[in-house]
Amino acid sequence: MSRVLDARGVHLKRGSREILRGVDLHADAGEIVALMGLSGSGKTTMLRVIAGLEPRDAGDVTAAKVGMVFQFHYLFEHLSAIDNVTLAPIQVLRVPVAEARQRAQSLLDQFGVGHRAGALPRELSGGEAQRVAIARALAVDPPLLLLDEPTASLDPARRNDLGDALSGLAKSGRALVMTSHDDDFVRDFATRVVILANGAVVEQGDPHQVLHAPSHPATKELLQVERSKK
Amino acid sequence: MIVFARMLSRLFVLVLIVTAAIPVRAQHVLRWGGDAEGGAPFVEADPSDPANLVGFDVEIAELIARQLGRTPQFLQIQFTSLDQSAKRGDFDIGLSGVEDIPARRQSLAASIPYYEFREVLTVREGDRDRYRALADLRGKRVATLGGTMAYDLLLGAEPTHGLTAVSYDDDVHPYSDLALGRVDGVVLDHVLAERAMRRNTGLYTHPDALAVGHYIVITAPENTALRDQIDAILRTAMRDGTLEAIFRKWNVWNDDQSRLYERMLTATAAQPSAAAAPSNNELIRRYLPSLFRAALITLILSCAAMALAVALGMLIAIGRVYGDRFTRLLLIVYVEVMRGTPVLLQLFVIYYGLASVIRLPAFLAALLGLGLNYAAYESEIYRSALEAVPRGQLDASRILGFTRLQTLRLIRAPQAFRLALAPMTNDFVALLKDSSLVSILTVVELTKQTQIFATNIGSWVIPGMVCALLYLAMSLPLGYLARRLEGHWRMPTS
Repeated sequence: MSRVLDARGVHLKRGSREILRGVDLHADAGEIVALMGLSGSGKTTMLRVIAGLEPRDAGDVTAAKVGMVFQFHYLFEHLSAIDNVTLAPIQVLRVPVAEARQRAQSLLDQFGVGHRAGALPRELSGGEAQRVAIARALAVDPPLLLLDEPTASLDPARRNDLGDALSGLAKSGRALVMTSHDDDFVRDFATRVVILANGAVVEQGDPHQVLHAPSHPATKELLQVERSKK
Repeated sequence: MIVFARMLSRLFVLVLIVTAAIPVRAQHVLRWGGDAEGGAPFVEADPSDPANLVGFDVEIAELIARQLGRTPQFLQIQFTSLDQSAKRGDFDIGLSGVEDIPARRQSLAASIPYYEFREVLTVREGDRDRYRALADLRGKRVATLGGTMAYDLLLGAEPTHGLTAVSYDDDVHPYSDLALGRVDGVVLDHVLAERAMRRNTGLYTHPDALAVGHYIVITAPENTALRDQIDAILRTAMRDGTLEAIFRKWNVWNDDQSRLYERMLTATAAQPSAAAAPSNNELIRRYLPSLFRAALITLILSCAAMALAVALGMLIAIGRVYGDRFTRLLLIVYVEVMRGTPVLLQLFVIYYGLASVIRLPAFLAALLGLGLNYAAYESEIYRSALEAVPRGQLDASRILGFTRLQTLRLIRAPQAFRLALAPMTNDFVALLKDSSLVSILTVVELTKQTQIFATNIGSWVIPGMVCALLYLAMSLPLGYLARRLEGHWRMPTS
């Protein structure tokens, strides 16, 4: 398996507050890595550091080209779904327009939103917007895909559809790193779970094992909080 | 409730006292309207005591008040508004170099003439042999004071002599602009011309009269009794030499006046015969084309100024969002100075203030003034619109590999522009109306032309309505267009 992400000793401070305190994180092609932790544990920040959106104070990050799907999607509001997907291939990669549109349409079809290609973002449901956002991120063909809380706005049925789609992406040779609060989703679809607490990795391993028999008190607390919400 | 009732009753008593006091005061005081901006020798603040007014019109007003047994009280009225103020009854009598024209005699009660003037042509010393008469000024700009006989004279000469009449709001700047070369001639009465010759060097006034006119005293149209009293006072002053003494003191006495007074005294009570005034319908027909032309100038000026404001405003907004600290500070200073000072002042500075450095044509100065001013407002609209595009979209575009310029061009600016459209339309409508301010730079746009129209026919009713209709005809389609554009952008793009 080829290593797509290798982050070592990532430190990040905001003012006097330490958000990340020496985080190590790696991901290989074919993996779905889930970052879990209570709010404020630093998981979204870690994702943004990997994406290059946050400067780090110390540590090394070696990552392939990344794609990112934001919790609130952030589609370009003035462009239709398909134009959201084709914009980067056409403008950045200089792919011919016809070819870019064809590829975008097949990506949208692949995620079940092909019939919404002409819709503006404000006309899409939360689930549709998310799938367009995934298609947009994949349009530049990144080996590493980052997803911030992908299940946050989905009902249970849609959640499984999403899980299947992500598994399909992993099988085709991409590495996926996602943050999540949803331990059921992580157990069902992630290949590895990494538990963050106070800006540091406290535990990681097979999701069934870690989430069934947590060894660290922070993991136990996390599971308790999540169960109490259900 | 009781407190409120008590307040009301007190207010009522106060109103009673004030209204009761007015007629008592009015009987003792003779309110006379004039324009001290017109300056010497008519009405001027005494240089040694600015609270005190001096000038021959001041002395004539004092003479009339004395003979009527009343105390003169001066009221500053802009020259071009004197007629309307007289009609409204803002003052009892008006005199400030007020000319005897048919429209005025028709709409106001006007006295007999008390001074005869000649309309004369002033040119630069070097042009005195080249430009001897209006016919020599083909294709040239000739300046005068708006709403005067001289302006009508020049308008009449436009088709026959092919010159362009340029109207000013005061009688100082026509001559200073003549000296600067912005215009090639000035036609005004000889009193103003002689004063201008003392103030500006390098000017020459041809002695021949292009026309002859008279100064009169005006009162409200229904106030013919007062007018008759004034006529009697003026005749007495003509007979006993009081008027001659006043005009001699101000160095404007000449033989024309002796002849005028002789005529006035022999013509007994008969009113001086004014030339038959053209009918209102004919006046409206005569002025309508010029109103349309002025509306076109308003439209062209507004569109060009808005284009400049939009382009510059976008650059300023981008500089404020993306620039370094120094650039941002510089732009903030620009925006605050432009928004914090009156656009009128800015227009003055650009046209008159910078004249020694760069001599901008009036239209260009107007365009620049409005454009530079509105750019400050537009930049704030674009800046807040740019800031309103969610940061998350900018993060997304960064990860997708767009450069900063691409992000601005493809993602941020198009969305910001849609957000800015409604406030921009508002500003354009405001600019359309603010463009009337440029009349101080001698650009005759719609409002100015309407004012000239109203002054010459002596009524605001029809000119005001036509003017309002023309402004609406320009601003309403704009709002419609903006709404359609906004609607269009709501549609899916593919």
